[in-house]
Amino acid sequence: MAVTIGVLCCHYTNQAGEEDFQGIPGTVIVRRYPCSGHIEVADILRTFEEGAEAVLVAGCEAESCHNLSGSQRAEKKVQGARKILEEIGLEPERVRFAFLPRLDTGPFMEEVKKTFEIALTMKSKS
Amino acid sequence: MIVAERKPIRRVLEAIEPYQRVLVLGCRGCVAICSAGGDREVETMAAALRLARKRAGRPLETGEATLIRQCDPEYLAPLREWADKYEAVVSMACGVGVNLIADLFPEIRVYPGVDTTFYGANTALGEWQEKCRGCGDCILDLTGGLCPIARCAKNLLNGPCGGSQGGRCEIRPEVPCVWHQIYERLSARGELDRLMNFFPAKDWRPAGHGGPRDRIREDLKMDK
Repeated sequence: MAVTIGVLCCHYTNQAGEEDFQGIPGTVIVRRYPCSGHIEVADILRTFEEGAEAVLVAGCEAESCHNLSGSQRAEKKVQGARKILEEIGLEPERVRFAFLPRLDTGPFMEEVKKTFEIALTMKSKS
Repeated sequence: MIVAERKPIRRVLEAIEPYQRVLVLGCRGCVAICSAGGDREVETMAAALRLARKRAGRPLETGEATLIRQCDPEYLAPLREWADKYEAVVSMACGVGVNLIADLFPEIRVYPGVDTTFYGANTALGEWQEKCRGCGDCILDLTGGLCPIARCAKNLLNGPCGGSQGGRCEIRPEVPCVWHQIYERLSARGELDRLMNFFPAKDWRPAGHGGPRDRIREDLKMDK
């Protein structure tokens, strides 16, 4: 069962490379932005259009955002995307947000794995 | 500004159900400022429609554009060229834009992407409040700049109703009673005499109750 997930994150939050994603038994679409506050609801929806079963939006911990409130804005964008998913009959939990310590690949990959598990569940339901 | 909010996606999907190619058309006027129908919201609406249709097995092709305004014929001119490429237009402008497109381009099927709600002010980030009803007969000169037509649930003209309590509206207690505010404001200024005259029963014809309103400025009109 081929499963795809999307990871949209701030350039400062994480710089995990291809080798980090090798443990994920599926396709990972990664998009990095200058700040997670720059991630729009449309970016999240487009990632689903590209085939992602679940999407992780990751931003820096609230107090360490390079642009002060970028990650908090990103969290709200995720709420907006969830509402739209619900409106069109998709499970809102397909998209999630994580505040993460900067440049620490461990917690980042934990969230990627959780997102992949959700994607698996969603894929098996469909 | 004219305040609007995105229509439920389901409603828009129902409207465009028969079509495969749809233009989502934003407006950079009021609806962009109130984050309902500008460039960003056009992208979101188009992506949501495509995603929903893809999941339903009936892919949708969307065009995305945002005009400076949709309430002015000159800015709508590009629609003439785009009309052939799309079977329908989802206008993210207020109802004025949708109506003007329908008037000027009878061949275009245009559907609203937002619900137009009121004339309001952006009172805080993410918050808009109604301040004017466009009633066509402004009395703000007599009420300390606070409008009892727009801001009183009962549109009262001669003081508060019997239901307001502690300066709050009985219909929605979270809203201040505007007549209480008017009294306080004029009292503080020593201008309570402005309220000594009764407002007669309001003529609602200028408010649109006499049919659609128009405004003609002969000095601005040009013979063709």
